[in-house]
Formats: sequence, C-alpha cells, structure tokens
Amino acid sequence: MTAVKPATGPPRTAQPATAQPATAQPTAMMSGGYQRAFTIAVVFLVAGWHLAGAGGQLLHNRHAYASFAFQGAMWLVMALAIGAGSVLVQRGALGWRPAWAVAVIAAVASTAAAAASPAGQMLAVNWAWGSAGWVGVLVLLRRRFSELACFLGAAALGILSVQLWDGLHRTDLAGFLAVFAWSTGAQVAVAAGVRALDVAASQAAAAARREEAARERAATAQIISVARHGRWLALQESAVPLVAELAAGTADPGDAQVRVRCAVQAARLRRLLAEGDEVPGPLVHELQASADVAERRGVAVEIETAGPLPPVPGPARRVITDAAIAILTAARSKARITLASVAAGIAVSFVADTGAVVMLPAPGEDVAIEQQQDDGMLWAEARWNSR
Amino acid sequence: MEQQVTVAIIEDHPVVTEGVASWIRSDPGQRVRLVQTARDLAGLRDSARLCDVVILDLELSGELVTAQIPELVAAGYRVVAFSGHGDPAIVMETLDNGAHAFVSKEEGRDHLVEAVLAAATDRPYVTRSQARAMLADQRPARPALSEQELQALLLWFQGMSKASVGRRMSVSENTVRQYISRARAKYAATGRTAPSKDALLARAIEDGVIKPGEILPYRSFARSVADGPSLGTPGQ
Repeated sequence: MTAVKPATGPPRTAQPATAQPATAQPTAMMSGGYQRAFTIAVVFLVAGWHLAGAGGQLLHNRHAYASFAFQGAMWLVMALAIGAGSVLVQRGALGWRPAWAVAVIAAVASTAAAAASPAGQMLAVNWAWGSAGWVGVLVLLRRRFSELACFLGAAALGILSVQLWDGLHRTDLAGFLAVFAWSTGAQVAVAAGVRALDVAASQAAAAARREEAARERAATAQIISVARHGRWLALQESAVPLVAELAAGTADPGDAQVRVRCAVQAARLRRLLAEGDEVPGPLVHELQASADVAERRGVAVEIETAGPLPPVPGPARRVITDAAIAILTAARSKARITLASVAAGIAVSFVADTGAVVMLPAPGEDVAIEQQQDDGMLWAEARWNSR
Repeated sequence: MEQQVTVAIIEDHPVVTEGVASWIRSDPGQRVRLVQTARDLAGLRDSARLCDVVILDLELSGELVTAQIPELVAAGYRVVAFSGHGDPAIVMETLDNGAHAFVSKEEGRDHLVEAVLAAATDRPYVTRSQARAMLADQRPARPALSEQELQALLLWFQGMSKASVGRRMSVSENTVRQYISRARAKYAATGRTAPSKDALLARAIEDGVIKPGEILPYRSFARSVADGPSLGTPGQ
C-alpha cells in the first residue's frame, strides 16, 4: 500500500489534523485574556462612576430629597445590579435573560430615583442621570449593538416621561438633553471602543497563532527530517546490502528467505518515500516506531490512514501502542495497521498473521479493544472514543 | 466468460507495463487479452475504440492525467486507474471523472485483473485503497452511506478478508459484497455525469444491488439524513 500520508480529502482539511486543535487553544486563551482585561476595565469604569459620580452627588444633595432613605435604597439597588452584572460578565458571554434582567432592574431603579427627586430641581439633585445606561453598557457590551441602543433609548425615555409627569420644567429638559447627549455619547463610545479592541485582540491572537503554527511546522519538519535521516541510515545497513547481494547473484530471488527480506525492505522504502511534510500526528509516529522494531525482525508492516484524524490524548495513545507492540511482536511475516476517524474518535486496527489469539493490554482510557481470529489471521481494533 | 475482455495498458514505465502484462498472462482462465500498450493517450485519441478496458497509469511523463478520463469514457472505454498515487483526493477525482475502479500499485497483483473484468461488465469493484478514499471523503456532496455500508468499507479497508468482515458483522460474505457494491453505486450516482457511471448504476439496479429509490433522494443529502431508518433493507 502506498502511504503513511494522512488522507487529506478536500483542501480545507489539508491542514494536519492534530495541529489545528493544538494551536487553536492558545489563540482562544490569548484573545480571551484581552477580552477579560477589557471587561475588567469596563467594570471599573461603571463601578467608579456609580461610587464617585452618582454616589458623590447623592451624598452632596442628601438634604434636598423628600426621602434620602429611598434615594439611598435605589442607589444600593443599582450598586447590587452592577455587582451582579460584574460577576456575570466575568463568567463569559451573557445570555439575554440575565443580561436584560440586570439592565431592567437598573433602569427601573434609576427611573424611580428620578421620579422621587423634587420636581424642578432634577438637574441639580438627580444622581441617577445616565447611571442605568452604564449598567446597560456593562451587561450588554458583548451582545448585539442594537440591544444596547434599545436599552439606552428606553432608559432615556423613562427619565423623559418622569419629566413630562412633573410638568416639563424647561431647565430640567435642557439639562436632560445635555446629560443625555454626553452620557449616551460616552456610553456608546465605550461600547464601540471595546468592540473594536475585541476585534483587534482576536486579530492579534490569530496572527500569533499563525506564527505559532509556522514555528510548530518548522519544528516538526526538523523532527521528520531527523527521523528520515535516521531511517535512511538504517536503509544503508539493510536495503543496500540486499540490493548488492541481488545484483551480485549471491542472493537468490527464488529463495523464500530472500523474498521475505525483499518484502520487508520494500515496506520500509515505501514508508520512507511516502513520508511527506504533512504531520500525521504523534500516534502515527509512535506506531511507526513500533513498526520499525518489527521490521528489524523481518515483519513487513504497512500503515495507512483514512480521513483527517482527531488528536488522541497521551494515556489513550499508550493503550493503543501497547496493543500494537503486542500484535507486532506476535506477527510472523506481515502486519497491516490502519487508522480511520470514526463517529466520535479513531479506530486503529491491526491485521497480522499471528497464528493465534494475542494477549492484548487491558482496555481503558476510553479505548475499547476487540479481536477476532480467522484462519491464522488476527484482526484487532483499538477504538478510542472521545465521548 | 465466453469472450475474452480486451485491454490496453497506458503506462510510461516499461517495467510496469511488463509486470501488468505478466499478471494478465498468468490469469488461469485467460479471461483478458492485451491488445495494446502505449506510453501516452495519443493512440487512443486518434483511432476507433481498440478495446473494452483501459488500464491507465494516472501519472504519464510526470503529469496527472485524471482530467483525461472523461474523454476516454466518452469514447466508450471502461477505465481502471492503476497508480501509485493513493491520495484519497486523487482517487475520488478519478472515480468522479468516470473511472470504474482504482487499483494502487501495491494492489495490482491481487486486484488488477479482477478489476478489469468487473469494469468490462460494468460491475463495481472496490479495492482497499478505494475504500480508504471513500471513508476519508469529507466533501459536502458525498453520497449518504448507511451504517452497515460504512462498517463493511471500514473493515475491508482495515485489511480483513470479505469472509472475515462477514463473520465480524454477522452477515454472509455475499451481503458484505452487496454493502460495498452499494456504497460504490451510490458514488456513481453523484458528481459529474459519465456514461460509465450510468452504466455501473444501471447494472447495479439490474443486479439488485441497489434500488432506484435508494439513489435519487440521497443525491444531495447530508450523511446524517440517510443514516435514518428509511434506507432500504439490504438484499439477500
């Protein structure tokens, strides 16, 4: 059989199967790290505004309110909403239910505080201007932009309706428009800024991933090159003398012994020639190493893969290679090893002329092992299931 | 077979041509007769149909000739690709272009003559390298194969004899052949159209390998859809 090349299929899967997930993880982590930093910055901004800005104004005007206790309670409700929102956003992407629950609580508290402020003095004493908007920025930051826009609009409408209810004081209305303009502008700017930084972070992470993948490829190429050189040296010791003997006529192609030696060397040569720059993954390398040992014993081994193979964790790989060693040790003259991706994992199978059932290692590490014996040929399959 | 199947070998390495010719000569039933050997496709292009089946090396003078297969098929030849290029993508392209079977150079001794005979009668012939390519196929337009078809292909690719595959799956060897042939026929029903693929499909229907209803609805469906219970029960 031809190749130890992984079956690459269409171009989009042409990337080595194992390299993809291995490098995708750091990228996600890296871009995730930046995102967390931006989230923390927004948390500080919002909490800082609520403590220093809104809190300061609340204390400064404490005698102007009809009920300072109520204003204080509303301020506390907002603080709790910010606290809850901060915890939630640190945990990852927010679903619409918790995000909107926090936002609506903040909007209600802010509108209630405005409604309880003395009419006509809102501009001077209302601490809740724009506060709800900041909570909205916090929890809706990474949801659709339209959601934040809706929320900011709704919060503004709430305050405006309070003003209308109070009889529309001209100064308050002017103040409202001014506060609305700068606070909403600032809120939208922060949300847009974080969004842009998110994009930049993921681009930086992607660039880093590409660089990392290139480095990994270079390192793998180095490993392959060393392995290939090693195998070439081994061929110098085994294949070259055989060819020389055949040429000189000292080895007789009719001799069964010589034919076995030829078969083994042919299998080795094929493997050497078939080994491309694509990385079939550590499992294939480990199986190749086992095959090399068997070949020195005179067993012709072929290894083939079908389909892009998922990466197999170390402990599961050990169970599979242990099975390979047991079977290859028992094989008399030939063995075929195949790797195929199956529904939720990988099926590594062995067909070899062992003559009898082989003692295989105990299954474990999500690897199931089965074998069947037919006319001196052993079939065994180690199936790793990722689920 | 009452009449010998005639064959041409298109291969640019004389030593390989010699080897293939010797396999044909050593067939006990002498079922195949070699009528032509050539190093390129020019001879086939210029004359009327010379033979039933063309054994085609996919790489002639350093160039892949998979794109020339439709032309050969349109001229009435059945094509058996014989190549060292076992890469599944190339195997799939070869089959999609209308070749009857793919035989890798390592499989030649055991499979080439049988593949030629199958091609001459428009019957499916699936080598292990071809099963590998079918298992590796990730194209969105791939045909939907049933669980049993996939299992039979996998065990056959792994290196079991068809009799062993049957024992493993608790079905007869004949049923195993049927599963594999049906998978192959489904491939003939997808992709570009070619007279050889139509012929293979028609023969598969005639032989009861596949029912017409099993092909058409799945032509463009994803694999998961066809794994459902609606897929026809296997014959036998």
